[in-house]
Amino acid sequence: MNTKIRAKAFLQENLVLVIIVVLAAATALMEPKFLTMANLGNLLNQFGPLSFVALGMTIAIIGGYIDLSVAGIVSLSAVFTISMIDVLGQTGALLAGLLAGALMGLLNALVVVSCGALTQAKALFMTYALSAVYSAAALLYTDGATQHMSHLNSSVTLLRGIGSGRLGFIPVSFLLFFALMAGLHFFLNRTQTGREIQLTGANITATDMAGIPVKRRVAIVYILSGVLSAFGAIVLFSRTTTASPLMGANYETNAILAVVVGGTSLSGGRGSVIRTMLGVMLVTLLSNCLNLLGVSTYIQSVCKGIILIIAIWIDRRRTK
Amino acid sequence: MMTGNPSSEFILSVRKVNKSFPGVKALDDVSLQIRRGVVHGIVGENGAGKSTLMKILSGVYTKDSGSIEFDGKAVETTTPMESLRMGLSIIYQEFSLVNSMTVGENIFLGRFKEAGGMKGTHQKAKELLERIGSSISTRALVSELSTSEKQMVEIAKALSFQSKLIIMDEPSSSLTEEELASLGEIIRQLRGQGISIIYISHKLDEIFEYCDYVTIMRDGHVIDTRPAGELNRRDMVSMMVGRTIENEYPERPHCVGGPLMEVKHLNTRKLTDISFTLNKGEILGFVGLVGAGRTEIVRAIYGADKAKQKEIWIDGESVAITCPQDGKKHGMAFVPEDRKQQGLVLPFSVEANISMADLPKVKTGSFLSRGKERQMAQRQMEELLIKTPSAKTPVVELSGGNQQKCIIGRWLETNPRILILDEPTRGIDVGAKYEIYMLMKKTVEAGGSIILISSELPEVLNMSNRVLTIADGRITGEFDPEKTSAQEIMNMAIG
Repeated sequence: MNTKIRAKAFLQENLVLVIIVVLAAATALMEPKFLTMANLGNLLNQFGPLSFVALGMTIAIIGGYIDLSVAGIVSLSAVFTISMIDVLGQTGALLAGLLAGALMGLLNALVVVSCGALTQAKALFMTYALSAVYSAAALLYTDGATQHMSHLNSSVTLLRGIGSGRLGFIPVSFLLFFALMAGLHFFLNRTQTGREIQLTGANITATDMAGIPVKRRVAIVYILSGVLSAFGAIVLFSRTTTASPLMGANYETNAILAVVVGGTSLSGGRGSVIRTMLGVMLVTLLSNCLNLLGVSTYIQSVCKGIILIIAIWIDRRRTK
Repeated sequence: MMTGNPSSEFILSVRKVNKSFPGVKALDDVSLQIRRGVVHGIVGENGAGKSTLMKILSGVYTKDSGSIEFDGKAVETTTPMESLRMGLSIIYQEFSLVNSMTVGENIFLGRFKEAGGMKGTHQKAKELLERIGSSISTRALVSELSTSEKQMVEIAKALSFQSKLIIMDEPSSSLTEEELASLGEIIRQLRGQGISIIYISHKLDEIFEYCDYVTIMRDGHVIDTRPAGELNRRDMVSMMVGRTIENEYPERPHCVGGPLMEVKHLNTRKLTDISFTLNKGEILGFVGLVGAGRTEIVRAIYGADKAKQKEIWIDGESVAITCPQDGKKHGMAFVPEDRKQQGLVLPFSVEANISMADLPKVKTGSFLSRGKERQMAQRQMEELLIKTPSAKTPVVELSGGNQQKCIIGRWLETNPRILILDEPTRGIDVGAKYEIYMLMKKTVEAGGSIILISSELPEVLNMSNRVLTIADGRITGEFDPEKTSAQEIMNMAIG
């Protein structure tokens, strides 16, 4: 009986991992090519832009809030950064893009905090409104036209490296993601600020009463989400070499999907960036698998929606 | 006698009921009989099994074994709604009313049809409220009611189900003296109408005042059931804790020194010109009705609420405090009234809850050290006798008293000079209360000062060196509790 309980606990804790293994094994049986180095590299490559946005979303959700503005931030920072390449060079543009992301995050935080939004629901609507603002700004900035990375003469460049470079069979973007994830995991669990973000997420009133500067913690949460979204945008346009002012659409839903499927609780305070990596893995693996089975993209969207609902349902049961 | 099987003098018979949770035997062969038309008190420390038993009766939990007979009929399994319809109502500490609906709608929630539409709902609700002598408008929104009015609505709701047994779980925990008196009146009326009442309370005075019979529980067992008249306070307490407690309060500390903090002209929306001095080594008690502004004063001092005007001098120097961080920086510590909402981060571990006010102390270099955090938690767990399976246990799993000790331990780690305690013993059992009083004594003897807010008058009067009465946002008097009668102080507090 004891082993039964333990097995159940293990399954509850590591449900995503188990599903990933099952899914991978099933795919490997159906398609032997799945296990080749090249394909595994491709799979990691598909982690891509979404994984960075999802990291930011994880921090926002652990901090007790949510950031629906990531779609707008991805669009605006992509078109802004690509237009800066000619002006500032690639490194300068990269930094300017990240700075733009940080500023948008700061603006989010200012709006959310100054309106006294203490709940996730209020932040949800505010960041949704801000997302519309950023998206509109991207359209205004470009007149609605898609931007191109035009002046890339050399084949080995910083942005191209970030977007599609590889070390062996491992994509550079995945290595960057992994390093950032490890850094954020350490930040959340071993630094004072990280711990305070988690406490704020779990109970902002009690954390405030314990003399912790909660407003500044909320600001850090949104700034991190903004910077990581901008980074995701840079990876995205470096890969496709174009940036459209609408390219961020649906990133918020997919990021939340990855975070919640990974097992970070929507009620704040509990979760981890490592879980989010598993969530992203599951989402990419699933779309791989469905592609392999020839399932239409519409049905794939339906599947994603169902998975999100199931994940939230499991989360609610767990918190009860 | 109202209805039911007249052959039995008992409305409720519980025989040999057992209930286990993983790792805990919550109820062990519990037997209990409640007569018709009596007020039956149940006392016991937190974790004695009172709540578990009540939850089994109301259908929230299922019993493992044993039998329950209600109104002459055996009850096997039940749901909360079924038990209501059977005639058994529970009024919990946390009310289960819908704030955004009217009083009448709340009383007949989900039964508008039976009540005869909205018109019938309000009319019947009015009759029920009148039956318990209440004049609350049935069209008032519940969110506009005071705590005691909400309680009346709950009682009216129970009556609307023709309840034969009403269980009241800590009904007085947030009532003022006056409201308590009217609750007592209602209880007597209900008893007069043949309704039985199970009255659960930590406040022994109330038990003696209202109850005909008392059952004492400890560690999942029923220790004894006796007519209240046969028991005295001391016996009851020793049966509850399983040992003899000599005194409910430790000897009052006497180590008051010179002035430490002066508050001058504190004005907020609710407070008018609050000025007072807190001395070194002093326990300063605030007495007043709920809503008089006691909590508002300390919240404004600590920086949790905005003030229109305020001057705070500590050690003769003016200090600016605009947020809780400032308060903490100037040596204040705040144990809030609402433990679960404002004090604890419930899903987090005991150690995380203890370390959170002084995280720099558990760092090695720039990073948090698990070892140091564990040490800090162990230190407080030993010092304050916090009962927890481990430092890693989520604080939500601890009993109320131990949760409160975690918050106090958190603040003791910051070595506060001014410890603000807002209702520190609410809902805490006798043993843990005494430990918290000892802790207060130790704190002032070590040179700290305490502001104590409590609705339990004996507690303030027995622990404080000086008492301020507060009414309607003003300080109305200053007393030496050793020289003044409780009556005199209460008169000033009522304003």
